Amino acid sequence: METAVRTEHLTKVYAGRVIAVNDMTLQVPRGSIYGLLGPNGAGKTTTLRLLLGLQRATAGSAEIFGRSCGPNAVEVRRSIGYLPTNPKLPGNLRPVEYLDLLGQLCRLPPEIRKPRLTSLLRAVGLLGATDQRIKTFSTGMNTRLGIAASLIADPPLLLWDEPTAGLDPSARRFTLDLIREMGKNRTVVVATHILGDIDQICDHVGVMHEGRMIFSGKMRKMKQRLQCDGISLELDGDDDVLQRLTGQIAELDGVDACTRNGNTLLVRTSAARGRAAVLAAALKLVDSHGLALQTIYSGQNETENAYLQLLQEDKAHGFNRFDFNTQDAADADDGPVSP
Amino acid sequence: MPTTALFRHDLRTLSGSWLVRLWLAATAILTLFLLTANWGQFQTATLIASMLFPYLVFPWFLVAVVLGVAPVSGAQADALADGFLSRPVTRYEYLIAAWAARVFTVVGIFLLVIVPAIVLVVFANRPVAEETVTLYGILGSLIVVSLVLTLLVSLGFLLGTLLRRPLLAVVVLIFVWFPINMILHTFSLEEFSPISLNQAIPTLLRQPWNETEVESQNPLGDHDAEMVARQAAYVMNFLSGEPAPPPPSKDGFFEQNNYDDFSLGRVLLGYGIPTLAAVALALLSFCSRDL
Repeated sequence: METAVRTEHLTKVYAGRVIAVNDMTLQVPRGSIYGLLGPNGAGKTTTLRLLLGLQRATAGSAEIFGRSCGPNAVEVRRSIGYLPTNPKLPGNLRPVEYLDLLGQLCRLPPEIRKPRLTSLLRAVGLLGATDQRIKTFSTGMNTRLGIAASLIADPPLLLWDEPTAGLDPSARRFTLDLIREMGKNRTVVVATHILGDIDQICDHVGVMHEGRMIFSGKMRKMKQRLQCDGISLELDGDDDVLQRLTGQIAELDGVDACTRNGNTLLVRTSAARGRAAVLAAALKLVDSHGLALQTIYSGQNETENAYLQLLQEDKAHGFNRFDFNTQDAADADDGPVSP
Repeated sequence: MPTTALFRHDLRTLSGSWLVRLWLAATAILTLFLLTANWGQFQTATLIASMLFPYLVFPWFLVAVVLGVAPVSGAQADALADGFLSRPVTRYEYLIAAWAARVFTVVGIFLLVIVPAIVLVVFANRPVAEETVTLYGILGSLIVVSLVLTLLVSLGFLLGTLLRRPLLAVVVLIFVWFPINMILHTFSLEEFSPISLNQAIPTLLRQPWNETEVESQNPLGDHDAEMVARQAAYVMNFLSGEPAPPPPSKDGFFEQNNYDDFSLGRVLLGYGIPTLAAVALALLSFCSRDL
């Protein structure tokens, strides 16, 4: 497997006291959209800053496209487009001036730099704001400009930290679509704690908790870790009929439980025993009772459940973490999990 | 290219900042005030020295320090630095550009205000006795003050990098800079203190470029003749047992001492070396720290 980002036992300790990143070994496959997931303070941003060379590792090493990361690793940073959380941009500049400045910092000659400015501003929807100073921009516009800035040198690797933080739904949708688009010919690492984002765009995921990488692998693998999940059926019909149906579905083979909340039935099923068969049987019952099916949703909160399960397991294992993670490493088909 | 781009960006940011704009206005007003207040009283060299006083002693050193501290400390500055340093730019390039932009701004504003004032003083027909001020002396004085301002910016830069808190860095530098006379006196380096420099400036302003040539034309200058006569009087009084004559009366702050041994080269070294050391230390500190 060709890797874009590789870390070996990467560790960062602040002031000899706070362990921000703990012995993290990670491989991000080239061409993947990799979600770096974790609660606040898990060490996601520190990891990105270590890769950028903005901070020095206390121990371990990090490489990007085979080159070592460090404060003066200019060639490494040339291959990275970085978007910080809520980017703080020079307010006295206009968007074109800012992008032009960054183009100069990336040593792009004017004949390449100048045409790219307009196309980038158009791509992020800021062409109408070219005469405004950046200090008048909203959070969403700032993020869009930050995205454009990260793309100015057309880098093969994007490191985006909380790209949807503080965005309204339409801006969030725009950003996620853009990440998906970028992921077609680039490697994208997205650090976030928003599970919905990861679920929609990422094919690989790494879960961090208290500075440690507790899972790294394909998204599918993480979801498979859940032994149980649910199917949600929103129905329209009489109360009595719905109540009767709830009981009948609960007795179906492969169903662990069926609960009712108003017009919605949540069918808890074991993934191992074939959710499709359970769903078919449940729909037959719905049809036989003459109920109207409004919505059906399978896998609701699947990622969230998997994520929370991982965190809970990590907390529960305590001193047995080492054995637990060794087992996880064997399970994961891409990235190893650090002890 | 990155250093030049960052330098231009910093210059633009600085020129748009309120601190720089206010400083430009304040320094122009103060210079004008000093010029008009002393127009008919001071001789040319003394008048120029009085206009340089605010830059060397008080209050403009504060502005130089604040401008020097800003680019490498404070949350906002750090965030912007992150924005630039996450690009293919070395920390060395970033810091040199930021330092150069600040020095350029501080020295530029100083020259912008003081040069027209000096031209006015030198060429105007004033109601005081004519005095010879040399071009060499004027250039030397401007270089000395520029060097002091550069050192202040560099010290601010160093402390801003080391302490990372702008306010703390400014306070520390004030506490270091104010008693600098006392510190330099302890090490017998008083001639390098800003006050001594300011007092030496009238002497420097009167110095010709090629002093030996002038001396050969006029082997015993007025000042030297006066010194010889005074020393002779001391000897005669000592021999005759009469009390010594009182020392010559002081003409004011700028004429308290004679600085005939004032050496521009020594001052350049005395301020140039600490400036280079401060920038080098700031670079070392900045390149080894986490952002």
